[in-house]
Amino acid sequence: MIHEYFQRGVAAGVIAGLAYGLYMMFVGNPLSEYVEAAAGGHEGGHAHGGAGSLVPETTTAAVSATSGVLWAVLLGGAFAVALYLLEPALPGRGDVKAYVLAGVGFFSVSVTPWLVFPPAAPGAVYQYPIDTRIAVYLGLVVVGVGLSAAAIGAYKRFAPRHVGLGVLAGSAPILVAVVVLPVLAPTAATHPDLPADLVAAYRGLVVLSQAALWLLLAGAFTRLRRWADGDRSAASTEKALSNL
Amino acid sequence: MNANDTVSDRFELARGELTMAQIAAGLAFGAAIVFALLFLQEPLAHDATHSFRHAAGVVCH
Repeated sequence: MIHEYFQRGVAAGVIAGLAYGLYMMFVGNPLSEYVEAAAGGHEGGHAHGGAGSLVPETTTAAVSATSGVLWAVLLGGAFAVALYLLEPALPGRGDVKAYVLAGVGFFSVSVTPWLVFPPAAPGAVYQYPIDTRIAVYLGLVVVGVGLSAAAIGAYKRFAPRHVGLGVLAGSAPILVAVVVLPVLAPTAATHPDLPADLVAAYRGLVVLSQAALWLLLAGAFTRLRRWADGDRSAASTEKALSNL
Repeated sequence: MNANDTVSDRFELARGELTMAQIAAGLAFGAAIVFALLFLQEPLAHDATHSFRHAAGVVCH
């Protein structure tokens, strides 16, 4: 059974990854290069893309698009295994569980770390060394999983009394984190060479593209599962008819 | 597998269906992808995945 989940998860990852790879090719890469150039390229001690780069622009574009596919495959596989193991504990019925888990994934892998390290546009100047940031990022993913578990626990506790009460209780831990974490966190990166509007637009696209990736993963996964179930029930009907 | 499974049932089922070698191989693959995409700071690899890291909002440099 877990094999089927994993297969579907990786297949959903390939589907979502192709879409995300195209996004990287047509939006992510050109936009990142534009922002890089707008920030002055090789100022601030880190040159990337543009003229001062180690690798040609086309290589960066191809590798970044491929990385997008790999990223989705990784998330799809992890999503499917987590869904197999945690399905009984997730709220909702049938396909809803998959979308809840995708929400948990988006919140834990992306949103919680972003509350401390907002997505940085190219050309950002960082306050902390990379090792510190990676360690804190991973810690925040764990915090995100914990918050999601708390939210689901609260929902399941109060939902039997009233669904609205459950939703309210479930959203409380998430709302608190979204409000409190950015206030407590020190500013991790600044964009001295970029207009604030451009940084905001870049961040908005990052948030939307990751949310879309998770939604696509869950959508493709549930669609593949329905097809497989449809085939199976069609096959058993056929078998039953041929036995008549 | 059925609708009345608990989470621990699912862990038991998975343990029955998978060998340790399969679990280890799966984890190793995942770790390899994570490492290559997110942690590899070697300048050439880093430069090539640079746009991706920014566009996906994961920490870069």
